[in-house]
Amino acid sequence: MKKWYVISLIAVLVGSLSMCHKAEPLPDEGYDDRLSGGLATTLDASSHAFTHAIDGLDARSARVHEIGDNTFESKFVAPPAPVFGGLGPIFNNVSCINCHRNDGGGLPITGSATAGLLMRISQPGADEHGGPLAVDGYGAQVQDQAILGAQPEATIGITYTEVPFTYPDGTVVSLRHPDYQLLNPYTPITVPYMLSPRLAPRLVGMGLLEKIPESTILSFVDEGDQNGDGISGKANYVYDAYTGQTEIGRFGLKANAPTLLLQIATAYQQDMGVTCYAAPKESSFGQQQYQLVSDPASSELADTMLNYVTFYVKTLAVPARRNVTDPDVKAGSILFNQINCAACHRTTMMTGTEPTVSQLSGQRIHPYTDLLLHDMGDGLADNRPDFLADGREWRTQPLWGLGLMQKTAGTAYFLHDGRARTIEEAILWHDGEAKKSRDSFTQLSADQRNQLLKFLNSL
Amino acid sequence: MKKLIPFIAATGIMISACHKASDPNNDQTNFTTLENQVITDFTNNVALGQYSALTNAAVSLNASVTMLTTAGQTTDANLAASRTAWKNIRGTWEQCEGFLFGPVEDNDYDPNTDTWPTDYNQMDSLLASSNTLGTDDVKSLPQSLRGYHPLEYMLFGKGGSRVAADINDREKKYMNSLAADILYNNVQPLYNDWSTNYKNEVLTAGMGSTQFPTKQELFLAIVSGMSDICSEVGESKMFEPFIARDSSITESPYSGNTLDDFRDNIIGLQNVYLGLNNGKGIKDLVAAKNKDLDNQIQSKIQAAISSFGNITERYEQAIYDQRTQVQQTMDQLSQLKDLLDGELHDFIVANVKD
Repeated sequence: MKKWYVISLIAVLVGSLSMCHKAEPLPDEGYDDRLSGGLATTLDASSHAFTHAIDGLDARSARVHEIGDNTFESKFVAPPAPVFGGLGPIFNNVSCINCHRNDGGGLPITGSATAGLLMRISQPGADEHGGPLAVDGYGAQVQDQAILGAQPEATIGITYTEVPFTYPDGTVVSLRHPDYQLLNPYTPITVPYMLSPRLAPRLVGMGLLEKIPESTILSFVDEGDQNGDGISGKANYVYDAYTGQTEIGRFGLKANAPTLLLQIATAYQQDMGVTCYAAPKESSFGQQQYQLVSDPASSELADTMLNYVTFYVKTLAVPARRNVTDPDVKAGSILFNQINCAACHRTTMMTGTEPTVSQLSGQRIHPYTDLLLHDMGDGLADNRPDFLADGREWRTQPLWGLGLMQKTAGTAYFLHDGRARTIEEAILWHDGEAKKSRDSFTQLSADQRNQLLKFLNSL
Repeated sequence: MKKLIPFIAATGIMISACHKASDPNNDQTNFTTLENQVITDFTNNVALGQYSALTNAAVSLNASVTMLTTAGQTTDANLAASRTAWKNIRGTWEQCEGFLFGPVEDNDYDPNTDTWPTDYNQMDSLLASSNTLGTDDVKSLPQSLRGYHPLEYMLFGKGGSRVAADINDREKKYMNSLAADILYNNVQPLYNDWSTNYKNEVLTAGMGSTQFPTKQELFLAIVSGMSDICSEVGESKMFEPFIARDSSITESPYSGNTLDDFRDNIIGLQNVYLGLNNGKGIKDLVAAKNKDLDNQIQSKIQAAISSFGNITERYEQAIYDQRTQVQQTMDQLSQLKDLLDGELHDFIVANVKD
């Protein structure tokens, strides 16, 4: 044995180990940075990129996913019907897929089969659980469609005004400012009320977001802005009507839903008028349309179907990043950090333990969100509180899959109400806590802005 | 569902494989020319060709239904003619489902015309209501009251038992507008969308297209479309009524056309693969580099299509009586899907580099 050889080998090893850069909690080395969802990533980048089950589900899970998929796509019809009855009497759309196009985002249209936008409503104050205070005759959501024989609650009027935005370098982009109106109310509203538009978001990676430990989310909170970067971040705590407990909010544009189960159950009940065990009361309860409910006691969506649809959404894979070796994309990724987008759109975190689906368990993921609420300024404010979220706060939207929105939905729309037609417009709407980053973006050169957009399109 | 492991394996093989001794530059030029030809022929012969045929079928259907609903013409002979026209357009439409991407999904022509099950309750309410049932009225109805299947219900009735004498005036008006809605609000716009903007998106793949920045993305979208229809038929449209033993959830229960719908879907996939009207298809790309793979794919597609012939009853009955045959067809479709998702997908990734 040549001792010098062994010794020098050890020396090299020690040397190389000690040369490691400073310890980061989640170092990039050894990971493929395309895999945004860890093992729950799909490599398809076609128009169906958001529709794939995570790879390697066991046979039973794959079957449950598939049944959930079919139910997700099924159009509900008026009861009594042999299959998929229970629609209405009032609703916003007739199936999950009609709003979540190809499991992606919706269109900012209301009152038709292609509608992907709905309107929440409430009056000042809070209900007994701290949530939005419903308006008599309307509840907390405006259902603008109805089965034949019933009256929709109202129609939604949307008008846009184009306002030019000028960069310091003289480039002009037109931003459209929306104005929403409640038209043709079926019964007068006698109290002051607040409206909040919500566009159907893409669904990828929900199962991973549900497994981010609460402690991780809370570690991002900086409510008093102790680090002085202008960004605070606050967790929403919301009432879970199914468990009867107050829990951290993760889903919904204001983080007002604690679990996927409740988010989906509420969507069936509120958006389609289909009741289920986790949301058993008709959305029309207490209103004149309720007369058309033929069997108030029945749960219109079978218990297993609600569970299967929840499992379906939970096990949708995140699309892999594309073009990660492109020099512009790499440069854009650095800019994303430099101008502090990543302070809220957090790039890397670990999921906790998921006992039934190992691909969701202990994954190193890149969701580009902190799941926290941030003040986004006047322009985006809906001025309608939702549990702890005030009228200026929105939850950081995850950015994975962002670059595939165009392909999956046909036409892509961004932000909580789809006012932005491009990612660039969406950035320019950022204000409030994001103002500093937005201003930094506008001060970049046109080439640098393009690099940042290329990076975002690679997600 | 795209597998991670084959992708990684394919990448590894690409790196380690040395190309053969013939002039590689020349081979590559020829292959690029072939790619362009396949794209052009897919666009003109398959997509536009099939959508054009669909438009013709919708014109015929609209004419037949107009005849049937004209005063004094509501005869069993005219009803039979409308049924034939309906089955005819279904054949073409189901073949068009071999490439369900682009305007057909972006602009909702698929759910606007091919939503099932039919909403009988709402249809009764609709017919009893004061709705004027014009073409524009039908356009604004829920999708479960528009398109092929409500018209199927009107033309055939439950169990195909309808006779012309049963059709009342309100139903005539509704049928008339259903056929017009298919033609004017869906099939014609679908053809127009493709023949204007979308055609250019496809033809400029890898050369400035925003939908398809690379040709590889276009070919992968085409292969995904083939695979999707394979799983749609084998794992959903056939499988769900089969496993539930429930004939009420089949695709076209009134006309008994369900099995033809399935077979036409797979013929649509075959059209994409082989090409139509002597044009080049995906098969030409595959055969240029891997004749063995091409043979496998062609014979798997053919085997799947032929296996439908073993199911001799209406699908609504076969799920009870001919379960072995139904299972065999689903197995064929499953094997075909694996081949498309695996070898064909990897072939495109490894060979279409622009």
